[in-house]
Amino acid sequence: MNGTEILENDLFIDRRPIITCAGELEVFSLLEDNLSQALPQDSCEWRRSLGRPVRSVHIGANFAPFSTAALPKPNQWDMIRQPLFHIYWTECVDVDIYKTGIKDEIELWLKELATREIPDWLIVVVENYDGKRANKLLPRTTVLDKIRADFAPKQGDRCISVINPGKVESRSADSWRGLVSRVRHLVLVSYARAVARLEEHVRQQREKRNEVGWNFLQYFKLQEELAQVLEMLGLYDEALVQYDELDALFSQFVINGHTGDAVNWLVNFQKALERWHGLKLGPSHLEDDPSILELRAYIFAKQAHMLLLINKIWEIASRCLPFLHNCTREITLLEVTAPPGAISCWLFLACMEVLQTCEKFNQADQVEAYSLNTAPLWAYASQKLKELGELCGLMPNGTPSSEQLHIVVGLSAGMGDNPGSPGAPSPTDKLKKALCSQEAFNKNYLELAELAMGTYKHIGRLRSARLIGRDLAFFYLLLGETQKAAAFLGDALKTFEQDNWRELAAQTQVDLAECYMKSSDTRKFIRTCAAIASSPYIDTLIRWSYFDDMLKCLDLLEKPLVVPFKDIIKIISVNVRNDGPIMQDCVMEVEAVLDSNFPREILCTKALLSIDHDKEQKKLKDKNCRNVSKEIKPKDISMQRLKIQRHLDYKQDKQLSSASVVCKTTPLKRADSSASPPQSDFTCCLECAKLPLVLTPGLNVIRLSRKATETGKFQLGQLAVHVRELELISSLIIPKVSLEVKREEPTVRLDKGLSPLLLGLEQRMELSVTIGSYEIEKNSTVKLIASRGLSIQHLEDSPLQSSIDIAIEQTQPFSKMVTSIRILADIFSQDQQITINWPWSPKPIPVQLSFTPPLTCGIRLHTVKHRKFVHITLVGKCDMELNVDLPKLNFGEDVKVIDYNVPSSQVIMNDVSISYLWEIQFTPQDEAPPLKGEYKVQYTTQSNKLEDCETRTFQHFFEITDYQTLYHVEAHVEPTKGNEFCRVGAVCQLHLTIRPGSHTLQMNTTNSLMYEVLAEQSLWAVCGRTAGVVSFIPDPEPQTVIMDVMPLNSGYLPLPAIRLSKYIPAEYNVSDKVLKPETHPRLEPFSPGQVYNSSKGQQVHVIAALNDVHIQ
Amino acid sequence: MAVCAAIIGKDNSPKYFTCLNPYDELNLQYKVLSSLDVVEEKLNSGTKSGSDIRELYLGMLYSLETHKIYGYVTNTKIKFVIIVDSTNIAIRDNEIRSMFRKLHSIYADYVCNPFHIPGDQITSKSFDERVKNIMTGNA
Repeated sequence: MNGTEILENDLFIDRRPIITCAGELEVFSLLEDNLSQALPQDSCEWRRSLGRPVRSVHIGANFAPFSTAALPKPNQWDMIRQPLFHIYWTECVDVDIYKTGIKDEIELWLKELATREIPDWLIVVVENYDGKRANKLLPRTTVLDKIRADFAPKQGDRCISVINPGKVESRSADSWRGLVSRVRHLVLVSYARAVARLEEHVRQQREKRNEVGWNFLQYFKLQEELAQVLEMLGLYDEALVQYDELDALFSQFVINGHTGDAVNWLVNFQKALERWHGLKLGPSHLEDDPSILELRAYIFAKQAHMLLLINKIWEIASRCLPFLHNCTREITLLEVTAPPGAISCWLFLACMEVLQTCEKFNQADQVEAYSLNTAPLWAYASQKLKELGELCGLMPNGTPSSEQLHIVVGLSAGMGDNPGSPGAPSPTDKLKKALCSQEAFNKNYLELAELAMGTYKHIGRLRSARLIGRDLAFFYLLLGETQKAAAFLGDALKTFEQDNWRELAAQTQVDLAECYMKSSDTRKFIRTCAAIASSPYIDTLIRWSYFDDMLKCLDLLEKPLVVPFKDIIKIISVNVRNDGPIMQDCVMEVEAVLDSNFPREILCTKALLSIDHDKEQKKLKDKNCRNVSKEIKPKDISMQRLKIQRHLDYKQDKQLSSASVVCKTTPLKRADSSASPPQSDFTCCLECAKLPLVLTPGLNVIRLSRKATETGKFQLGQLAVHVRELELISSLIIPKVSLEVKREEPTVRLDKGLSPLLLGLEQRMELSVTIGSYEIEKNSTVKLIASRGLSIQHLEDSPLQSSIDIAIEQTQPFSKMVTSIRILADIFSQDQQITINWPWSPKPIPVQLSFTPPLTCGIRLHTVKHRKFVHITLVGKCDMELNVDLPKLNFGEDVKVIDYNVPSSQVIMNDVSISYLWEIQFTPQDEAPPLKGEYKVQYTTQSNKLEDCETRTFQHFFEITDYQTLYHVEAHVEPTKGNEFCRVGAVCQLHLTIRPGSHTLQMNTTNSLMYEVLAEQSLWAVCGRTAGVVSFIPDPEPQTVIMDVMPLNSGYLPLPAIRLSKYIPAEYNVSDKVLKPETHPRLEPFSPGQVYNSSKGQQVHVIAALNDVHIQ
Repeated sequence: MAVCAAIIGKDNSPKYFTCLNPYDELNLQYKVLSSLDVVEEKLNSGTKSGSDIRELYLGMLYSLETHKIYGYVTNTKIKFVIIVDSTNIAIRDNEIRSMFRKLHSIYADYVCNPFHIPGDQITSKSFDERVKNIMTGNA
């Protein structure tokens, strides 16, 4: 119940206000139980002075009989413990009885109160209703009215009547409720006055704190009383404030005492510690002469109690550590002496008590807030236990001496007895047990430390967890469990490296090295030694010693040990020495600048640089990217590019339901899950030629080379430096350095000289073979195949062939072989080709060649009456001078030719022509078969450049048709009769005679001829018809046509030209009555040799006209 | 006043570390490192509650029997940590604040140096001297 608590030694502290009862006590005794239960059941508003907020409180009460002696004196401060409120009870209903006795009694009672200035009283008239009496008329005045009139004319609320609730009736409940609330209110009013007085007193006392004789403990009890009152009222938070004030006040005294203003009473707290009973939360009481620990423990227990009541369990935990730190500090400030370990014991017990309490009351929704505070407590407890362990010789590396055993006994005694239940041993039990044996100590310590670490991890304080792990590692190291120790140290190392705390990381490496040395794990030891030896944060001497250890241990290695470069060796730069692409079979050379952090020179047995083919790189692109990012730094997730993908939802009928983009967040991976960098394939790598390689501390330039056997693009992968079995491997080289290895294929060319190729002359071409970037097989050949009519040869003295094989003699890369090839094309086909077959081209290579003839000839047929002459013009068509000799024309055996040429050789040059003339001898006859002629001429080159001095024959074949003369045309112009001369403007006569040949008419060609006079219009004007048709069918005699022509100019004028054509008349369809031409008449020309115009080239002398008039 | 001062970069790596007693350095480094847990916690919860973003001072991060560790975070997430001996009871919160402000100001001066590469460790002797002066309360 509020305001009462049961202490362990069964003492009651009752802070409930005391209410006295006077008058008819037997009436009250019937109501007492009901009333004392009913009072605290409901809350009541408490209005306070000094602007403090209104709080609703529950108030209870103690009832005591009224006695004059117990009444408090005026101005007494501790009203709380005095009767506060006074009630007079009466059952009287008869006004007369009242007047005779009760009135005096009340008067006396009130007088007693008034003399002590007590304003808090109440008169209660209890009415007993009977069923019978209820029917009666109400009396004129009641006792209540009388009392009210007599004693409280102005304070009506001081008198109240109540229907006896003993008789259960509905009417009585209301009046009962009225009584309870009236009492509650009035008691609170008087209680509030008492509390105010107490507060005032506390304040006064506090003001006196610097006066001589002031005692903290006395004051403490006084203020605690206030706290208890507040607690009674249910104002736990305000009660807590009182305790907090006391806490702070004491701290301030200690600090002040340390700085100089020592106060006497502090000496009491400076006594040497004899007991260090564990802190106990829950009901507690303060010893009479408390030590500082006891006082502190008491205050904290009270604070914790209040916190528990206001349901702030986690705050108990959060206050605990500062409280404990404060205690230890105060103990040192006050120079309190204590046996070694005593304080640690007490601190440990306090931690455990708080933790246990928290565990008991912890609620699921507060785990987070609570773990945040318990984690450091667990850590603190484990630390304290370890201190005790060290003190008592319980650490795994030793056995307790007898002196240390004594300490344990002393400490256990000082802890006192605080047995818990067998199922839940109290902290004291636990500590005593832990101090008993090494085994129990180990178990306890490890349990606590693991708990602390686990809790830290749970709340995300990874670094703190790692540091506890580090402590644990040392403990395990003492236990000889090196594997566990190494695991914890390894975790710590990772965290340090992640945060880039190099010095701590280096230090942890040293610890790890010790650990690995103990477990004789050579491989890991070497790894760690390498890291230590290259750390700039470690003392040089230590680095040297680990470096030496490492080198020593290398002999023990049986398998290769891969160690990433990390900080041991840094790649400053990597350069490809070759310029441009590297040709196959050349040496690719890479220069790397390495920064060795080893403290001394190290002899490397190998240095390798892996190269990756680019094709593979593409396939592994995704994978590599991930690796790369891991290598550089764990990237901020928020900085990474989001992987947005298209997302389509289809309905069941395969229609599109929705389209959206989806960002599939990259799954979070532990960045440190892969310790070693991805290992490249070192089967294909550049090597350092100069071995052994000595890496000196600081910058080193090494050159790595390799013959490029494969073509393609390569990227430099990882660099590895081997020291015997130790393989130091870099991460992938970033930014990427790429190499390109190329191969040049052999090439072949066929070139002609400057001048164009000529037919029928042996000329030279050049076949050039260039070997590419690699050496070709010996005995390789090039095969040249010439097309028909073309022959070739590369050997000087051998005959020309249609195909040749040329052996390639130069097989060295980039060598060139030029072979001169003789080539001869026959005179007939100008377009030729040579096909090149060779091993480096899957298909034969055709080379188109076009030749031009060295000579051309033109043929003309000349006619003199019936005689025929062949005129051949030979034209030089090449730059060379050719010697032409022995022209011959041959029409076969039947036809004889008369040669009119000079039989001597001639030189012909470009565009120079030579003419030859022959007469064909034949007799005119009916049938004139076409003549097939063959013209031949011998020629040789005159130039010295070409060795081809052979005499070659130029041949030309031709055919002559329709060469016989069919008609002889003769024309002459004569002046008209009587005129002697032809004059300009005077009409002359053109006589045209057409004479058919003797054989002409037998030829069944055509019988009609058309003649046309084609006069030049500026010279002649033809009068009348210019054309006409003549026929020789009936009469084969020559026909003469006379036409009038008029010369228009004077001088020697050429005769008008005469053209004869075959005339083919229109054909008529005779069957019809009407004649319809089926075809139009048409003309067909004669071949050149068929018409001989004997007057061609004749001129007529025209003299000027007689007078000028005609000229117009 | 202070026994140790540290400047920690936004990636949580130490940029500067000094302490009055060089023998304590390693030990104090562990303490500063573990205080980063609390700094991160405060920064994370700070963004949620929307507390005054202009307040850079984080207050006491945690306390040990021997030391108290205070924190301060600049807007660019550079963390300053100061460790105070917990037996030094005279020191007030305001003094810690002012130490942090001075530290921030000389840090800002330092990083304004055009030859300073952001993210590099601070090795300047004069900077060290000024920090030491702040720590001992002479600045």
